[in-house]
Amino acid sequence: MSGIPPVVAIERLTKRYSSRAVVDDLTFTLDEGQIAGFLGPNGAGKSTILRLLLGLAAPSSGMAHILGRPFAELPEPARAVGAVLESGDFHPARSGRDHLRVLALAAGVGPARVDGVLETVKLTEAGGRPVRTYSLGMRQRLGLAAALLGDPRLLVLDEPANGLDPAGVHWLRGFLRAYADQGGTVLVSSHLLGEVTQTVDRVLILSRGRLVADRPIADFAQDDSLESTYLALTTAVTA
Amino acid sequence: MRRQLRSEFAKLTTTRTLAGVLAALVGLAALAVALHAYGLSTSQLATRSDQRGIFVDVAVNLGALFAALLGALSITSEIRTGTIRPTFLATPRRKTVVQAKAVLVFATGVLTGLAATGTVAGAGTLALDLRGISVQLTVGDYVRLLSGGVLGGGLVAVIGLAVGAVIRGQISSLVTLFTWLLFVENLLSDLPKAHRFVPGALAQALAGGDRDGVLHTPATAALILAAYTVVMLAAASLATSRGDVA
Repeated sequence: MSGIPPVVAIERLTKRYSSRAVVDDLTFTLDEGQIAGFLGPNGAGKSTILRLLLGLAAPSSGMAHILGRPFAELPEPARAVGAVLESGDFHPARSGRDHLRVLALAAGVGPARVDGVLETVKLTEAGGRPVRTYSLGMRQRLGLAAALLGDPRLLVLDEPANGLDPAGVHWLRGFLRAYADQGGTVLVSSHLLGEVTQTVDRVLILSRGRLVADRPIADFAQDDSLESTYLALTTAVTA
Repeated sequence: MRRQLRSEFAKLTTTRTLAGVLAALVGLAALAVALHAYGLSTSQLATRSDQRGIFVDVAVNLGALFAALLGALSITSEIRTGTIRPTFLATPRRKTVVQAKAVLVFATGVLTGLAATGTVAGAGTLALDLRGISVQLTVGDYVRLLSGGVLGGGLVAVIGLAVGAVIRGQISSLVTLFTWLLFVENLLSDLPKAHRFVPGALAQALAGGDRDGVLHTPATAALILAAYTVVMLAAASLATSRGDVA
């Protein structure tokens, strides 16, 4: 044992609203360089888990740590984790560049990095335009640029392929692979099984807030294997 | 905290909301004081107390309303547009976000108070002069109007921020502030002993108001209004720290 904490450690995490558990006794860890995909039907708890991990919601019990600490206790959160939770988290009248500048100032990141991440997501030319003029795909890329500002060790992405055209999806896939190859860790939620198959190393299937499968993507190499497993697991629990 | 202050300042200066609200305030304040200066009889505008009362009423009522509005918008627009999520991801210690907002909102309220009192002082004096009414106000009256309006604007703006942070919904926050400042405080003016302790009346006392239902000791008014602000800010900090962000 090296004593180095995993990038993500979730242990017996539970979130209840009234008496209903939307996340139920969840445990898993993520190590450096992995791309893990959360799969699950609508309402399975994917987004809630990401919000719990990022301190936007408080757990009813259990713990969610990033690099050995709760998110709120990270000394430089933007350098530890970058996240895209919604494609609409922008002031419509603010330009893409100004949106990034606002966040960069709060995170203690220099202005040169703003131009750098705009270039990374191919939004340099559109950076001066108000976000209300952006397509859904451009907003997704702007969200990713914001997540990359602090050059973080972990990326948390909620449905990142939503609104991207095929070229955008292809670009995102290549970007995430290169990021993981350089030691970055990615936790991505999706309901697009085909997309997940081509992007992630590991699949975590959720149903009604419970983790019903945690397996390497290689286990699903056979055609339709992931889909049949997903349907069997999620339908069995919801039936 | 410095980072958050710079970030909040950038938020304020990268949209046109502040400029638009201030422009509307200046236009309304000029119109309102001109209507008073031309609409009232000369006997209602003859004395120093009459003139001071109208200037304070128009400037402080409008200034406080717009300051509270800007204060509430500083957090409810973030909740409405969803930018509160990246804000809290960049600064997970939410109390720091509220504190930074309070500093910037106070400064915005100061600017709002200055715009309201400055416009009323300038346009009101001009209108009285054009109508041939001798202006009775002293330099001290103008100084008190501007300085009291500035301090009152800053404090009421932070109360507006606190109301927005506790209620969270933009429309419900603005309706609450408008209802209180325009309706409830007006109703309470029939009970002068109670009215003198409401935020709007305290702001009037700071700016030189001397009617029934307004404290005549500005230092006491400043202390009470500052105490309201601190209590409301503590409530805002608590509400923001505890709630889940959707």
